[in-house]
Amino acid sequence: MASDASSKDFPTMRGRAWQFGDNVPTDQIVATAVVMSPMEVVLKHVLEELKPEFPGSVRQGDIIVAGDHFGQSSGRGVAAKAIQAAGVACIAAESFARTFLRNCYEIGLPIIECPGAGRLARDGEIVSVDLVSGVVRNETTGATLKARPVEPFLLTMLKAGGIIPLVKKSGPDLGFKDR
Amino acid sequence: MNMIEKILAKRSGRNKVAPGEVVVCEVDCALLHDLSARSCRLVFENKMGGTIAHPERIVTVFDHQFSSPSEEKAIALQGTREFCYRHGMPLYDCGSGNIHNVAVQMGHIRPGDLVVGSDSHSPVQGVMGTFCASLGNDSYAATVMPHSKAWFRVPETIRVELTGTTRPGTTARDVALWLCSVIGEGKVNYQAIKFCGEYIDSLPLWDRWLFTLMAVDVGAKAAYVEPDKTTLDFCDSLGLAGCEVEKDDPGTTFIADWKWDVSDLEPQICFPPTVGNVAPIRKYAGTPIQYAELGGHGGGRLLDVEMAARVLAKKPKQERVKFNVVPGSRHVFSMAAKSGDVALLHERGATWFPASTGSNQAVNMGAMAAGETMISTHVRNFPGRNGSPKANMFLASALSVAAAATAGKIIDPREFL
Repeated sequence: MASDASSKDFPTMRGRAWQFGDNVPTDQIVATAVVMSPMEVVLKHVLEELKPEFPGSVRQGDIIVAGDHFGQSSGRGVAAKAIQAAGVACIAAESFARTFLRNCYEIGLPIIECPGAGRLARDGEIVSVDLVSGVVRNETTGATLKARPVEPFLLTMLKAGGIIPLVKKSGPDLGFKDR
Repeated sequence: MNMIEKILAKRSGRNKVAPGEVVVCEVDCALLHDLSARSCRLVFENKMGGTIAHPERIVTVFDHQFSSPSEEKAIALQGTREFCYRHGMPLYDCGSGNIHNVAVQMGHIRPGDLVVGSDSHSPVQGVMGTFCASLGNDSYAATVMPHSKAWFRVPETIRVELTGTTRPGTTARDVALWLCSVIGEGKVNYQAIKFCGEYIDSLPLWDRWLFTLMAVDVGAKAAYVEPDKTTLDFCDSLGLAGCEVEKDDPGTTFIADWKWDVSDLEPQICFPPTVGNVAPIRKYAGTPIQYAELGGHGGGRLLDVEMAARVLAKKPKQERVKFNVVPGSRHVFSMAAKSGDVALLHERGATWFPASTGSNQAVNMGAMAAGETMISTHVRNFPGRNGSPKANMFLASALSVAAAATAGKIIDPREFL
């Protein structure tokens, strides 16, 4: 399906980087102990096991850069929701676990697969991500990467704001019925 | 088309689908456990509302909690229970068993069907000749519950052929652990795996299970074993009739064909901190353990209980080890009670826990202090999943877990043959 989304729907994002390694499990994004807790409690612990300073220092518009298979393990939706609620604008990783990828787009959190993302930036450097052109850049060092194109259907879903707004707008077949 | 492409085509009302296409499919069965059912319910009630299209297809199993460990958890379970009752959705309450085992044992998984699951190990159900993938809360709330539908990108499929016959002491679990390390964590992201070959063909259904189970850990979206006589005989034993079995079309090709011979494989162990770290178990022989557990997605089958009983019949549990046995379903406990294995394991020092997912994420049991070590049949070993991030989880076969329970340390289980 061609996407109805275009570059004007997704302006370039710029933010401070948080860098993570390979195979980050959702268990370490939101620990099981707080899975059933209200979001304000979850936010005090998001990613704290890997970076104790993250919950206290993360700001609106920050960007996570990470290695392979980010978000592996449990399919808990709260992992994506907590990262979004913490203010993170985007995640650029070498690759994502598929349930995590699906969960992010379904709640309207843009993420992008980008070879080299794991080593692009150190914490605090400024990173920019253009979802449509796929250009991912470390604005501090000038290093530039090219991401894999995002599946057009995911851009359509992202433009709608996630799967719930999309189903309300386009119906149970999510706009596929007339193909 | 291969088997899963045929199911995706059939359920999206098309004659044909190809890898890379996005399709919206009718869902035959949707599985939820106590943790995910709560989140899906809250998203559905707060953001969607309305009726459930096919309540009989939404199956909930309370498996992480075999009893409420706190008032907060009791309230969460109460809310989900009332939600299931109100909409007429099947609920297997605390003490029923592990979500995946219960779903199969109670006849909810049928060859040829399209199944979705909230648990990340849901691809295990492909062992029945179904297409099964994991979905998150918002898919459940937006399309699965109100419309009995879900979207999928049709995956590319890799064919994995296993040949040969294992040596005594090397079980299907050892082969599956080893395969996870040779394929590699996250290495087949978004793709599907077909398991086949003379080794897979020779296994009973509950051993084939261990292969589709590990698929998610190498990143796969789905996995399957083409239905054969073993599958259909198993379906007969459950009283399932009228399944629309699908198989690969003749001449189907795959994006990759990988082949391994399992004949020389030794018993294996997966060591911390992630599931891709696997070595021959003798390399960890002598490591002291405080806990041993048969249970979780990778254990608690009747085969596991039988293996453990054979070991403990020869030697009792070492006195300092806590040896937990957690049946995957009530059926397993019932069969083990009838065979005498419940009494045997109890009398030789093991502790029976209610049918559940056991120490998985230490929701109900299985938390460890820093420096403590468990060997188990569970499927994950990430730091912090079982109490302290400084505790260690080793994953192995039921044979190796029981052997370690008798010794108080990791040992080569072939001592018990």
